[in-house]
Amino acid sequence: MSKLPKKTRETSLKKKSLWFKNKITPYGFLSPALLILAGVLLFPLIYSFFLSFHEWNMASGEAMKFSFLDNYIKLFKSESFWHSIKLQLIFVGASVSIELIIGLAVAIFLNKDFFADKLVRALLLLPAFILPVVSGLAFRFMYNPQYGAINWFIKKLGFAPIPFLSHPKLAFLAIVIQDIWRMWPFMFMILYASISTFPKAPYEAAKISGANRWQIFRYITLPLLKPSIVIAVILRVLNALKAFSEIYVMTNGGPGNATTILSLFIYKNAFDFYDMGFSAGVSYILVIIALIFSVFLVKKQFDF
Amino acid sequence: MLKQKNIILSLFLFLLITSFMIANPFYVNASEQYDNTEIRVLVWRDAHSKAVKDKVSEFEKETGIDVIIDDLPTQSLTQKMAMNLTSKTGKYDIVAVDEPYVPKFASYFINYNDWPQPKAMENKVDLSIVPQGAVDAGSWQNEVKGLPINANVYMFTYRKDLINDKDLKRKFKNEYDYELQTPENLNQLYEIGKFLSDEKDQFYGWAPFTVKSEGATVEFMWLLRSFGTKILNDDLEVVLNVDKAVKAIDYYKKLLEISPPSKLSMGHPETIQNMESGKLFSTLQWPAIIAGHENPENSVVAGKLAYSTNPAGPGGASAITGVWTLAIPKSSDNKQAAAEFAYWWGSKKSGRELVEAGMSPMRKDLLKDPELQKKYPWYQALMNNLSEKNAVHRPRFPQYPKVSDEISTYFSRVISGSMEAETAMIELKENINNIVEEYKNE
Repeated sequence: MSKLPKKTRETSLKKKSLWFKNKITPYGFLSPALLILAGVLLFPLIYSFFLSFHEWNMASGEAMKFSFLDNYIKLFKSESFWHSIKLQLIFVGASVSIELIIGLAVAIFLNKDFFADKLVRALLLLPAFILPVVSGLAFRFMYNPQYGAINWFIKKLGFAPIPFLSHPKLAFLAIVIQDIWRMWPFMFMILYASISTFPKAPYEAAKISGANRWQIFRYITLPLLKPSIVIAVILRVLNALKAFSEIYVMTNGGPGNATTILSLFIYKNAFDFYDMGFSAGVSYILVIIALIFSVFLVKKQFDF
Repeated sequence: MLKQKNIILSLFLFLLITSFMIANPFYVNASEQYDNTEIRVLVWRDAHSKAVKDKVSEFEKETGIDVIIDDLPTQSLTQKMAMNLTSKTGKYDIVAVDEPYVPKFASYFINYNDWPQPKAMENKVDLSIVPQGAVDAGSWQNEVKGLPINANVYMFTYRKDLINDKDLKRKFKNEYDYELQTPENLNQLYEIGKFLSDEKDQFYGWAPFTVKSEGATVEFMWLLRSFGTKILNDDLEVVLNVDKAVKAIDYYKKLLEISPPSKLSMGHPETIQNMESGKLFSTLQWPAIIAGHENPENSVVAGKLAYSTNPAGPGGASAITGVWTLAIPKSSDNKQAAAEFAYWWGSKKSGRELVEAGMSPMRKDLLKDPELQKKYPWYQALMNNLSEKNAVHRPRFPQYPKVSDEISTYFSRVISGSMEAETAMIELKENINNIVEEYKNE
């Protein structure tokens, strides 16, 4: 029998029950989601990390062998790996920066009322809702020198058709253009949502002070937009690092290895050569690149 | 007492006969024997496998075996097969394996010699009825790993109506001083193709296969063999002759001059489109696709095509094979039923019906059938190309996918002009040598 008075005991029990209710119960409700998340996210992350230290050819029928850093040494020595990293970084840099410029310009331009403005803004978003594989296939046909729409225009202008997907440099440019077409509306969507909520007062004050359009953009719009730009760029960079299906259907990494970005390199090693340990190692390099980008950009945001 | 003895004797005889009948499947109706048996089949997707899908209900009715067919494009099929075989799921009772992948997965399959004898079908398919090139394609380390089911070979396909056109014949003779005829060698192929090409009319002499894929590898191997060289020999030594390979590439670049504008990124869809809309004189084609070219509903050239042994180069005529083999995984729980299905597919009786539904047969008796040859004019050329003299198999060892990737990559580089042919061939040789050495050291 406790020596505490009955009332104190009751209060203590109530406190405990309240603590349980506030602290533990939410986890109970969250647990199904957390379990699923652990199953589909945490487990593959840990397992692929474990796999990256093993030599395992899935089709050989042999058990995996612990090889410590062999896969990482092999990939750092591989010319194809460095070539893919270079292509991946150029792809991300070129497509995201151009998408940002177009998205920002269109967001500023359309931040006013005009006839059918809502309809125009809605239509502009359409490409972002198209599946990458569908967009890739459509562009593959549009680029076709014989039947493609793009080359039809080129021929109408009196020029010879351009073999976009069979020339190494043009093929890379072609996949970047496809990505820009499909994803600039994403940038526009985020930036327009932000611009449309800006207060009017700073703009009116700037106008009264005699600021020109460039000064208003440089010293008011851009600083106010910076957090949204950072978020949009982080999301797009992460998305562009995962680009795969559209390039797979457009060029399959060719001609030669001209469009074999890192995701295609991983796929080829995993599902054509069944070299699971090696491809898990390369995947982790991709994860590290994504983390570096994110940390750098988030840090930048807090520096503002 | 005598009566009691008779009863005991009768009872004994009854039990003996009953147990004999139970033990001997001869006395069991096939469809009863396979009641509630279901097999899962993984096959490639084309006109051939579609014919099997369309007719499989007849097999089901005959045997009582339910067949679930999963048909997938080649690459997806190989990936799915790899995952199921290596994890020993036993999900598939029978799988179709493309020729170059037989060595890689051979250890997962039952040898054809060990396949069960049929109980519902009449007999096991005798491999002597299959062209030797197809049997070799389904073998690894002197063991036949399954039943070759699709005598597939890369075959010269051309417009016979143009070759037989009197006006064209006369003009050609004046220009080239020999008859306009079926090209017998690569030089004739180029000259006839060039003569018939007309940029203004968008008519082209040749359709290449250049889009980065296994198809490009096959095209390059055909070219190399026609010029008397190859990548690997049977002892897995890299034997590529750079000079011959460079000559082959130089020739191929000439063919590209008489090819459609999409010549550097052409795959099956582009070739089919050009051929069936009447814009091509010739190409190399697979039998399953030829069936489409000969379908008047889709193709303006149906009935205007002819097929022959591939034009010979300095190294002779060569035809790359792409035989599909039906294999039974060791992990299958329904090996008997799976074998019955393969025997049905490979039998002459059902083969005839399947041919009518669009299948490309692998039995010599069907390929030689005069009635079928008349209806399917490519059968004779298919047999000639599959002969031991002409048939060329892709390198056969488990690391073939890596070799194929290197070949298609360098082929693509040289034809797109991003690399000199000689440098590319030296590098290709070195890279393949590294792959082979790595494999040998494993």
